[in-house]
Amino acid sequence: MTSSPALVALVAAAAWFVVFVFVHIGGVRAGFENARWLLMSYATCFLGTLVTAIAVTAWQHGLHAVILAAMMAVLTSACLLALYVPALYTVLTSLSVQTMMLLRRRGGTLSEAELYNRFASRKIMEHRLATLLSSGYVTHDGPSYRLTPRGRAIAKFFRPVNILWNLGPGG
Amino acid sequence: MTIVLLVVVTFCFRLSPSAHRARQMLFVYLFCLAALVVLWFATPDDLGLLGRSLLTEPAWLDFAATMFFFSAAFFGGALQLYNLCDRGFSLRILVDMLEAPTGVVDVDYLTTNYSSGRGLVWMYRKRIDDIVAARFIGQVNKQIILTAKGEMFADLFINARRVLGLELPQ
Repeated sequence: MTSSPALVALVAAAAWFVVFVFVHIGGVRAGFENARWLLMSYATCFLGTLVTAIAVTAWQHGLHAVILAAMMAVLTSACLLALYVPALYTVLTSLSVQTMMLLRRRGGTLSEAELYNRFASRKIMEHRLATLLSSGYVTHDGPSYRLTPRGRAIAKFFRPVNILWNLGPGG
Repeated sequence: MTIVLLVVVTFCFRLSPSAHRARQMLFVYLFCLAALVVLWFATPDDLGLLGRSLLTEPAWLDFAATMFFFSAAFFGGALQLYNLCDRGFSLRILVDMLEAPTGVVDVDYLTTNYSSGRGLVWMYRKRIDDIVAARFIGQVNKQIILTAKGEMFADLFINARRVLGLELPQ
């Protein structure tokens, strides 16, 4: 009995993605820098997905089936990553989520003043700038900051979407 | 279908802007999802041009994969694009730096002029208003109170941070 190339691809992508999630979490727990480790571990598991899907399909089927399996594997893996990354960054960086977690750990009630003092202050801006600095989007210019070419490209890419979707400045 | 969704979302945002744009996007997604289901059943498996070896079989798998790919493109793509543009804190800092007259800015400038001059208090007020609207928290006499629904989600996020080995807000 031969297995469906599409099914092989989906199972390979799902299995390798589970491996990726465990490796990524393990790395973050071990203290590796999240973004770089995420990229490295995903790239490795993506390669594993592709090799598994192609090898298993090629063993039982012809070239067309191998192409189908490879495309399905790539698409499935990319879709799983597209769902995983926003969920991860919600946990890591969302101020709304941090507010709820803080409230939960402090008995469920806090004054507005305390929350604003914590989440709408100069300190939170400093913290976020430090993250942008370590990610290479901004750089120091004396005591101030300026955009790197990478940061400029990101800002220029997203600004037209705000205009097209009539979102205002956003943020 | 994802391109159709993006075009419809663009028309909705420009012609009928709503205070709840994410919800507006979700309605467009559900409409497009229904259209996709109809299209899937209405068209032949081979679309009249594909060879048998290029078909996803069995048919239920093809249907499930179609729904999954479209949903992932929405929740992981289109909706995240909106979230980034409308609510991205880091992205907005980059855009503010791009729009700054000198191009070189300090922390005080960014704190005061965040989001084209609206400031960080506006940014946080927007987030508080959104989680109040979603009934995760309530406001009583200048106090912010976590609701039962908020507690449930807060526990979920706290556990997720514990799994990742990250420190919790104190």
